[in-house]
Amino acid sequence: MAIDIWWRIGMAGDPSSLRTAHRQSRGDWAPPGPDSITPGVRDGAPDGYGLLDYLVQTARAAEGLGFHGGLLPSFPGTDDPWAVASALARETKTYRFMVAFQPGFLNPVQAARMSASLHRATGGRVTYNIITGGGGPPQLWWGDKVAHDDRYARTSEFLDVLRGVWDGGPFDFTGRFYRVEGGGLPGPLAGLPFPEVYFSGSSPAAIEAAGRHADYYLSWLEPFPALRAKFDAVRERSAAPKFAVRVDVLARPTEREAWADIERGWRHVRPEAVRAQLSRDGGDSFGVRRAVSFQPGTFTGFRDFEVQPNVFAGLALMRPGPAFGLVGSYRQVAERLDELIDLGVDSFILAGGPHLEEAYHVAEGVLPLLRSRLAGAGR
Amino acid sequence: MSEPRIIWTMPTRGDGRGGPARGWDAPPPLPPTVRDGRAGGPAFTPFDYLHQVSRAAELGGLGGVYVPYDPHGEESLVVSGSVGRDSRFLEVVAGFPAGVATPVYAAKLSATLQRAFGGRFAWRLEVELDERVQRAQGDFVTGADRYARAAEFLTAARAVWHGRDVDFTGRFYEVVKGGFTGPLAGLPFPTVYLSGTSDEALALSAEHADVHVFDLAPDDELDRHVARLGGRVRLALQTTVHTREEESELSGSAGLRGTYEEVADQLLAYRERGFDTFFLAAEPRLEEVLRIAQHVRPLLAGRA
Repeated sequence: MAIDIWWRIGMAGDPSSLRTAHRQSRGDWAPPGPDSITPGVRDGAPDGYGLLDYLVQTARAAEGLGFHGGLLPSFPGTDDPWAVASALARETKTYRFMVAFQPGFLNPVQAARMSASLHRATGGRVTYNIITGGGGPPQLWWGDKVAHDDRYARTSEFLDVLRGVWDGGPFDFTGRFYRVEGGGLPGPLAGLPFPEVYFSGSSPAAIEAAGRHADYYLSWLEPFPALRAKFDAVRERSAAPKFAVRVDVLARPTEREAWADIERGWRHVRPEAVRAQLSRDGGDSFGVRRAVSFQPGTFTGFRDFEVQPNVFAGLALMRPGPAFGLVGSYRQVAERLDELIDLGVDSFILAGGPHLEEAYHVAEGVLPLLRSRLAGAGR
Repeated sequence: MSEPRIIWTMPTRGDGRGGPARGWDAPPPLPPTVRDGRAGGPAFTPFDYLHQVSRAAELGGLGGVYVPYDPHGEESLVVSGSVGRDSRFLEVVAGFPAGVATPVYAAKLSATLQRAFGGRFAWRLEVELDERVQRAQGDFVTGADRYARAAEFLTAARAVWHGRDVDFTGRFYEVVKGGFTGPLAGLPFPTVYLSGTSDEALALSAEHADVHVFDLAPDDELDRHVARLGGRVRLALQTTVHTREEESELSGSAGLRGTYEEVADQLLAYRERGFDTFFLAAEPRLEEVLRIAQHVRPLLAGRA
């Protein structure tokens, strides 16, 4: 079966490279400087461009290179992915929007209508990345007080309601979190193909809910044996959904060039930050706690964070985002992706900073080196 | 002194790192392992990539883009029209020789582009082309006659652009009761860039150019040529550029070569000597224009 390869976009801007990953010089989420673009400075004044102009360019680069679409992440410190998807809808041709959202912040009937309208605007290019866990201060930032395991129950109900109204009504529902009477999408909004669901979460409650709702079980990159165990746990509890992994990639023609970018970016990492990272716990996010548990026990230099060949666990110290990524030559990164495919991965959400230029490295350098799998052979 | 203006050269015959040329060759399919996101959707065209480059120049705050005349590449006036419309700030410099059209037609087409861009269109009239190339394009004017023709071309084009009931009779062109009317009248004439270091080239520029574009050359040689232009004509320099964060990372050869600081210093030194515009190129054009925008340009702003 063919693999889907997605390319993330930087919803809070991008650095100009991982060497300057500490500074998001693209987009307006960081203070402007002389090196800023979108907005840039012309004749001493802001040029009127903004992050969205950069996102249009990134999305167009990704779709032109053949990526399936991209993940539009959602955090307190990002623009909103539903709004960005609607703005990018008419600026793109084939880019599929994997909208990240947390059920509970949005009424499920409204979510259904937004999705259907966006499907109509794009010819069916909407996919869901449903986030449930998290926890800790960010959850209260959103005003969400529901406890961890209850959030998965709420997600299940949310998706029941969303599916219930999707094909038209009347739909009645009474649950712990939602109640609907005579609901249903109207007219031509009803009955469109239901968006594929990417579902993430590492806790037992998450894996349970994934079994009911997920087309794809999505994980952050972890050391490969841990990932294998996680997939096995999901397979035990559900009717074999497909698997997806979210992977940061830094690929260059040679291994030396790739690590040179890390080495230079690491110069901006403060030793206190490394010590704090190594002694961190994960709040009530199982995923973060798992990631922390894979960190090196001792630290003498940034290569200690290479916890298995080409698997680098130090990215979170260099820029906001997940800890793990693949770093290496085009060939090495392709080999690691091949190994992940062998573990059962059906879909990759790849990312790199900056997403614009890195899209070309990955599409032109790495993807052509993936092992070709003859139809019917292998898994 | 104003910040040095960088005009980035568009890749109208492909771009990239040595694989299938972006914006020129058919885009390579993804391996059979991967579902191609483009399958079944609307067609992508080479212009999708050209716009990536021009948009990067635009968002990166550069002064303009240069669309070179290349008989074996994408047609420059059409590319100019497309990328110029997708910009608010860029000067769009189209390269073409006089042989491609009558001066009236070239001016008419340019008036429409000037309207489409709000006055950001410029001409880079190519005069000294390889004569075999010229003949293949149906142009048999050769030698010094090409300079006489270019002078007439510019004179006739300006005459119909600015005037009414224009009569013009020259060796190469004749116009009777020419001149633009309605909204085609009253627009700014495209900025005229010319180049070359022959006697004829420098004489043509002294009379007709707004800006003369020199290739990189030793300082004393440049000084000699500049002296012959007279003080009216602005000076530009054209060169390839290769720049990296650190000396040890430099690999290729180029006219301007060095770290970000070194390249910025070289540009500022030329700026001191009167060159205000720089036609630059490096490959891949997309990645390198972003590199220049984010790492070299900040070193120019405020120091000029």
